Amino acid sequence: MMAPPNPASPNPASPDLLRSARFRLEREPGWRRLETLIGRAESAGMAGFSYDEARDLATTYRQAMNSLSVARDISLDLALLTYLETLCARAYLVVYAPQESISGLIWRLFSHGIPCALRRSAVPLAIGFGAMGLGFFAGWLLSVQDPSWYFTFVPPDTADGRTPAASTEYLRSTLYGDEGLAGDALGAFASYLFSHNTRIAILVFALGVFLAVPSFVLTFYNGLLLGAFFATFAQKGLGYDAFAWLSIHGVTEISAICIACAGGARLGLAVLLPGPFTRRDALRHQGRDAVKLVVLAAVMLIVAALIEGFLRQIVQSAELRLLIGWGVGAMWLIWLLRAGRGIAENPL
Amino acid sequence: MTAAPVTFRPAAPKNRTEGFLPPEGVPISFAIASLGARLGAQCMDVLITWLAVLLFALLLIWLDILPFTSLGALLLILIFLIRTPYYIAAELVWNGRTLGKRIARIRVISANGRRLTPHQVTARNLMKEVEFFTPATLLLGAGDLGLVSGLITFVWVVTVLIVPCANRRRQRLGDMIAGTLVVENPKPALLADLALAAPAGPARFDFLPAHLEFYGRYELHALEAILRDPPKGAAAQVEIARVADAILRKTGYPGAVAAAEKPEFLTAFYRAQRAHLESRQLFGDRRDDKFHKTQAPSRKP
Repeated sequence: MMAPPNPASPNPASPDLLRSARFRLEREPGWRRLETLIGRAESAGMAGFSYDEARDLATTYRQAMNSLSVARDISLDLALLTYLETLCARAYLVVYAPQESISGLIWRLFSHGIPCALRRSAVPLAIGFGAMGLGFFAGWLLSVQDPSWYFTFVPPDTADGRTPAASTEYLRSTLYGDEGLAGDALGAFASYLFSHNTRIAILVFALGVFLAVPSFVLTFYNGLLLGAFFATFAQKGLGYDAFAWLSIHGVTEISAICIACAGGARLGLAVLLPGPFTRRDALRHQGRDAVKLVVLAAVMLIVAALIEGFLRQIVQSAELRLLIGWGVGAMWLIWLLRAGRGIAENPL
Repeated sequence: MTAAPVTFRPAAPKNRTEGFLPPEGVPISFAIASLGARLGAQCMDVLITWLAVLLFALLLIWLDILPFTSLGALLLILIFLIRTPYYIAAELVWNGRTLGKRIARIRVISANGRRLTPHQVTARNLMKEVEFFTPATLLLGAGDLGLVSGLITFVWVVTVLIVPCANRRRQRLGDMIAGTLVVENPKPALLADLALAAPAGPARFDFLPAHLEFYGRYELHALEAILRDPPKGAAAQVEIARVADAILRKTGYPGAVAAAEKPEFLTAFYRAQRAHLESRQLFGDRRDDKFHKTQAPSRKP
């Protein structure tokens, strides 16, 4: 199939050849065949293999492994040994570590993977929601006592004129205006919200590996902002409207940040309290559920961005906003608490 | 080789390989990818993805089919997608090889030697946000950072850099959480057998077993490397001659070898030495290097 490398093409049976050279000449076509087969399997997968090719892969793989074993003992040809080591390592991955099938993955993840992971995460979730809650109370109390705290917490570009000094009418207009956006601008706003928030959520999660402290601090800070913001509106008698304005997307969005923080807390707890495992094993163990929590957070943030980008601008009644926000929240809760009960969790 | 006789073996490189034992019972090993290759692959990936987005954006602007705001929204989504999602998708679809990793000839494998699961791919790439993107972004804007945030960034970057340097398998945090390794994935290339390169006809050089008792596997492989990549030019000829002279002196080969014949002499000596060592090895006498006589016979199987 392949031309022998030497132009003289010596006869393998010739007695004056080295034993190792004879060994190589006899087996080389099989190795070449395996090389082409694994090249194809690596680039295009094995789905397109014919019956003959699949059979050849199995036989030539075993032959090559056998050759490697023998060559290690009888040959001192470094080029040959390197080639066989490389070839067999690649072939091993093709045979024993082929691509995982992705079909059914999404369904498994949503039908029981994520809900089960969430239900196993009571303590980390308490940390995540606790951080947000504590931040909210601190921000709220401080801003109520002394409105100047607001300027400490909230960066000026985020505040957008919504400061304690602003008039009630202006604050009301920020809650019920359509912000001058229409049509495709709403989509742009939603995509900005999604990409920005998801990046924050991934950061909150991944920073958890540093003993969970940065995750906690970031979530706490988010809570502070929220509390200060809410206090500003509440003091002008707009508490109910602000609550509705926040609820429509915030129920989903803020929960998502808390869940990402819970994922980070799982990693942090694995490093802090590894229990009977080594820290590395504990991280790997906790990582299974932690990653699912982030996937959940990302999905929730997509929904939250759609609600915030479109619905919040379109729906202008406080009652309807409350209904949508908490209705969506209840749906999340039902899914996460009910789905996949009684199914033995098989690791993804 | 003359002035100061080397009395110790060259230091063995630190063992940076990961071995697996497949059901066939033949142990195989993967070389752990170097940090340079990994950084190179990462930079290549960043370059490729940003170029792709840029070209796509230019194409859309040129075609002028989308209003400005939709274009902005699309680009925002794309810029988000080329961070973590691109790496997850690429490693899922190409089984542990992003485009940059393909160019750098490295790949991700599962630390248990079995298939790479979607969970592992997701976990290791989520951590990339903390280990690469955010520190890189912070560093790019490092000039504007205050003292405290500058210090935090510094500690952050140092922590993230120390982790893969500090363990034998060069796992970064994401690799530890996912249980994955990044290994070299070289293309197998079978070079010609040097033992077949000796010219046909009556042998010009004749070696006795006594001439072949001196060297071991290490020296044979060094000679093989010289023969495979023969140096060119006048200075190189001097090198070849030096090697040949050293062999002549050490082995006490009787005949005279003219300068022009020295490459041919080396090839013939390589073949004879390899034949000798291989036959000794068959009898259980494994000679690792030229110090084999001063040591107890190797007990390796």
